[in-house]
Amino acid sequence: MKKNGFIQQNTFPTTVMVGLRIYHIIEGRFEWRINHQLYVFYPGDVALIMPHTPFGCDNDVLKIGSFSWIHLALKKQDGYILPGKWSGLSEAEAAAIGKILYLNNVPILSRFEEAGRIIKCIYTELSEKEVAYQARVNHQVDELLIQITRKMTQQTHSTRDFPKTFTQLEVLLRQDLAHQWTVEEMAGLVGMGTTLFTEKVKSYSGFSPINYLINIRISEAIKLLKRADISVTDIALDTGFYSSQHFSTTFKKLTGYRPSEFRKNHLRNI
Amino acid sequence: MECIITIELGTNGIRVFAYDLRGCIIASMKGHYTTFHTQPDHSEQDPEQIFITTLYVLKNILNEHIHPKKYKVASICFCASMHSVLAVDNHGNPIGNAITWADNRAKKEAQELRHSLPGKKLYEITGTPIHPMSPLLKIAWIGHHDAERFNHTSKYLSIKSYVIQQLTGEYMIDYSIASATGLLNIHTVRWEDDALAYAGISADQLATLVPVFTRAGTLKKAYQQSLRLPADTKILIGSSDGCMATLGDGIKKGEQKASITIEDSGAVRVMGPTVLKDEQMRFFNYLLVDNCYVSGGPTNNGGNIFEWFTKQFGEFTNPFDMESSMQQLLEEAANVPTGSDGLLFLPYLLGERAPIWNANARGAYFGLNIKHERRHFIRATIEGILYEIYSIGKTLSEQRSTNSLSLNGSFGTIPFCSQLVADIFSKPVEVRQHFHSVSYGAYLLSATEMGIYASLDDAAPAVDAPDIFKPTAVHHAIYADYFRIFEKLSNKLSDEFEAIGNLQQKYAHPIK
Repeated sequence: MKKNGFIQQNTFPTTVMVGLRIYHIIEGRFEWRINHQLYVFYPGDVALIMPHTPFGCDNDVLKIGSFSWIHLALKKQDGYILPGKWSGLSEAEAAAIGKILYLNNVPILSRFEEAGRIIKCIYTELSEKEVAYQARVNHQVDELLIQITRKMTQQTHSTRDFPKTFTQLEVLLRQDLAHQWTVEEMAGLVGMGTTLFTEKVKSYSGFSPINYLINIRISEAIKLLKRADISVTDIALDTGFYSSQHFSTTFKKLTGYRPSEFRKNHLRNI
Repeated sequence: MECIITIELGTNGIRVFAYDLRGCIIASMKGHYTTFHTQPDHSEQDPEQIFITTLYVLKNILNEHIHPKKYKVASICFCASMHSVLAVDNHGNPIGNAITWADNRAKKEAQELRHSLPGKKLYEITGTPIHPMSPLLKIAWIGHHDAERFNHTSKYLSIKSYVIQQLTGEYMIDYSIASATGLLNIHTVRWEDDALAYAGISADQLATLVPVFTRAGTLKKAYQQSLRLPADTKILIGSSDGCMATLGDGIKKGEQKASITIEDSGAVRVMGPTVLKDEQMRFFNYLLVDNCYVSGGPTNNGGNIFEWFTKQFGEFTNPFDMESSMQQLLEEAANVPTGSDGLLFLPYLLGERAPIWNANARGAYFGLNIKHERRHFIRATIEGILYEIYSIGKTLSEQRSTNSLSLNGSFGTIPFCSQLVADIFSKPVEVRQHFHSVSYGAYLLSATEMGIYASLDDAAPAVDAPDIFKPTAVHHAIYADYFRIFEKLSNKLSDEFEAIGNLQQKYAHPIK
């Protein structure tokens, strides 16, 4: 926790760190630059600085006020952040959270007192070291990550415009089609529970989320098959199939062609 | 037992219907594909996604409803949104995404051409209004701004032509879709040299021009197998959604009846043996079959505007529950007096096509006084959307008198809206609930091709008897009074529309 009673030079220079940084404003008004963009923070707001993102304030001077913060050392996997061994999150849940944080990447979460409460609790546990304090801290850090993830998706997606939400999701999916998306991740990305998400996707698109995703995968695969310069195995993996076998079966079921046949046929007709 | 399958390639997705030969629905299914707005004026769709979605939905309906009941598929008939453009290279591979009707990138080209003499001539010859929606202008835009694509394009296709080419290998375009490209001479039914010259392309860069009843080749073997359809399954090229909505509404050539569609966007259409001529270039004239034109005017602002209103001001007790939020607003609107106690709404949130053809037009609430409440805004919004529909109908009636209307589309067929249309137009309105006019039109087209009906004129009366909404004179008088101001404002504000549009662009914030 930091209470800044007077203005001092070089107290808050711009830094880049490997970990995830979370700042909760208690009082005052701060103008901070995150990834070169200026944001204004008021009490209750949370600043979230992703790993390797420059963070600081102009002139390196910290304004008067107070805030609490926590720096989390996280692992990295396939370019996404992942909590360490201390986490009680299942592998799938941890991956989903890492992905959602990374893809939404919103540096300011407004009116988020819950984060302050958790950071304070972690601080108290660490300083008082009562029995089982380590487990308690681990739980609280997980709790913080979960709350931040949920807050972020709720803040970025209105609960009114499903078509817009769905389009945003499709853009994200297409940016990383090679990833093995789960329904939980897709729903989480747009701040929905899987039950409501599955129901809405079905009624809006006519497909289950997984079948809609297969649609996108096959569409992309067709584009690549029409070019002669990428191997079928690479296409399978690039478009998110487990293996070329899985790709071949799915592709054939829908189109009647095996991918290699489709390519041969297409190139022959030129 | 035989059945007819219709496939509609629409703006938001595909709809597949299966009809028995008498026109009763056996089953229907839909599949969504996404429209991408990578830049403010751009509106694009992924051609492979459209193709795969088509295949997927078709396969599902066959496997779940047609094959188990041992139906034989007599024909598969296509219809599609108009004005789409997809460039393909000499291998038939798409270059970039398909550009949809809603794309506005060619607005500068359109503005210049619209106000020129050659533009006027092209409008008369092609029947397509000079507007960014027109493939004529989109191709010209590609020529001016995307040399890479322009130089590598072997053919410019419509989305429907592409999907059919994937299925059968044939490059074909039907009269209706072709007559919405701005490139077809609708009088001689050939590609127009002056239009081709303007776009900078040659006729062999377009698909083969064929009548709507044409068989578009044979399904490729692999698709025969995966869909479990015999080789001789008839694939009909079909028509456009606009023409099919009109036919499916039971409109006959030369009849004094207009068809109104109010979906997301909307249109008022009539069908006749001649084209409508208009000095101000306000109407489209699309070709259905020889000597049969579907003419009318389109609007950008239909049910999508009420949806916008609902998103902003609806209750949304449950997340994403658009339907019940809309229902709630409609109930509130019903309790507001006719004419919303003098609150008027101009619905031009997306600029406007017919009849004012002003891309700069913007929305406005007018006449607001201290007694107006939230509920007045709800009703005024609906009334404004329907005044705009009426203003198209009114300009059409200067040339073709109508004594009754047929109304379709998800917004138009809401009973509250249907009654308002009857009152505003002061004409009886036919509405068929839970009816899909576009697909039914495609059924009628297929059935006519099979000889079940002697001609499309004979097919039209097969459309089911509708519910009729009768106009109420007292309400019409009120609407007529307010409409005069609506019409005046729509024209009078032209300068201010442009000024505010310019400022909106000047101070535009990037979309997050």
